[in-house]
Amino acid sequence: MNKFSALALIMLSSSAAAQTPATNPMPDGSRDMYVGLGLASAARYEGAGDSERKALPVLQVQWSNGVFISGMSAGMHLSRNPQLEYGPLVELQPRRDESGNSGGIDGIEARNSIVALTSVKLDQNRLYGMTPVSTRLLGGGFLNYYLTPDWRLTGSLLLGAGNERDGARLDLGVQRLAMQVGVHHRVSVAAGLSFANAHYNTAFFGVDRLDSLRSGNPMYRAGSGLKDAHLGLRWNWDLTPSWMLSSQVQVKRLTGDARHSPLVERPTNTTVSAAFAYRF
Amino acid sequence: MTMARYLIASCLVSLGTALGAPGASAQVHAADWVSYRDAYRAMVVFEKYGGPKNYIQNHLQVVPLENGAVLDGLQLTLAAKASQVNLALDALGRTAFPLLKAAYDDNAALLLNRKIGAFSVRPRVSLLPQADGIYDEAQLRAACEQALGFARYADASLRTRQCGGVRFVFARRAGDIAVRLHRAEGADQTLAPVTGAAFQGEVGEGFPTVVYRFAGAERAQVISANPPLAIVPLFE
Repeated sequence: MNKFSALALIMLSSSAAAQTPATNPMPDGSRDMYVGLGLASAARYEGAGDSERKALPVLQVQWSNGVFISGMSAGMHLSRNPQLEYGPLVELQPRRDESGNSGGIDGIEARNSIVALTSVKLDQNRLYGMTPVSTRLLGGGFLNYYLTPDWRLTGSLLLGAGNERDGARLDLGVQRLAMQVGVHHRVSVAAGLSFANAHYNTAFFGVDRLDSLRSGNPMYRAGSGLKDAHLGLRWNWDLTPSWMLSSQVQVKRLTGDARHSPLVERPTNTTVSAAFAYRF
Repeated sequence: MTMARYLIASCLVSLGTALGAPGASAQVHAADWVSYRDAYRAMVVFEKYGGPKNYIQNHLQVVPLENGAVLDGLQLTLAAKASQVNLALDALGRTAFPLLKAAYDDNAALLLNRKIGAFSVRPRVSLLPQADGIYDEAQLRAACEQALGFARYADASLRTRQCGGVRFVFARRAGDIAVRLHRAEGADQTLAPVTGAAFQGEVGEGFPTVVYRFAGAERAQVISANPPLAIVPLFE
């Protein structure tokens, strides 16, 4: 029954499947907030062969009424049952253009690269000439079930991705929360699968005739199905009651039609990040 | 200096300042600490539980993770911005946990007065003791069922467990332990103490314990001449 440190700071929502922080009961009118700054190395876009280093802000806020903001996601816990979590969920999906995925938070689009990007020649950039995928606010819901207080099955469905706002993504996963490896060190592990409909995969991995003419990529029609499998490891180090160092490594492998897209240079992408966060 | 480097430098400077003053208050010498909010999160589950709980109680327990840790003299202090409260720990490392909005909003710390190695803090449910030391079998069974009901509420994996009995835990220096089973027909039986851990899965051993297992629907009383530190429900 120990849900200590179920905290899951989400700062790489653009690369991680939508996750929801665990229910956080607190006194009426209170809130629990983390704000910080992180450094991350992530693929320039899903399936990119090159990666870039970014400074990404960290934000997680939970209020006593169940509303939460976690990175680029926001939602509300509606369940009062400690074994079940469900509620509405929204996620801001960043723009993807020739330079890759945009960073940003709360709708502020900004590329935050602080280290020189890997040099990518235009004729080697498979996104060059491709129609940009605009920033979209996805909407849906989440459902999590606790097998034990430390293990939970997670699920979320988000709709509205892509320029046509008709892309849908279903994320299913399992998480081992808060393994204590020292007085102030906790590790959590997550594994999951992402499924996407044909509209979603078409938006991010398809190449239509116009795109093909402009980019030189062969035409490609991406269907629905399993999009990726991912595995993540998070290490939280509580430095003081207020300061935390949160580090994460996540490996994602594209599968199915997404993997075979001409836009995909490398089906397996690794994201590494570390961030200091202050708890208010 | 680029903006990004400035932000990182500022963050590290602030962190250094914070490390010099752990906790919301630096007035108490702290050998180690726990976040009050994290403890609150775990402890409030019992408070919000709507099932019957008049025979059971919930404590915050400091649990050493290494064998041989001594809890004697260990003190826990709730340190908020404007106040400090000493939370007395019993011999099992337990204390009544105050659910305080002010402490939560202050992001207060729970400070340990000395190092005990690796440890964790957790909620710990036990049965309420009786002042006269006389426990009806039916009441013990009802109390165990209440504890099991709460455990199932918090942990779905305990659904198949059943109440098997209770364990009376006594202080290490309690002297001669005298616990007997008094049956309605008048036959008394002494329940022999054994040395062991207070709670299942704990590394700290050496407590005199007496186990009473529920058997059928007998009408009996467990009579303890010594006040127990804790009465622990046994789920099997």
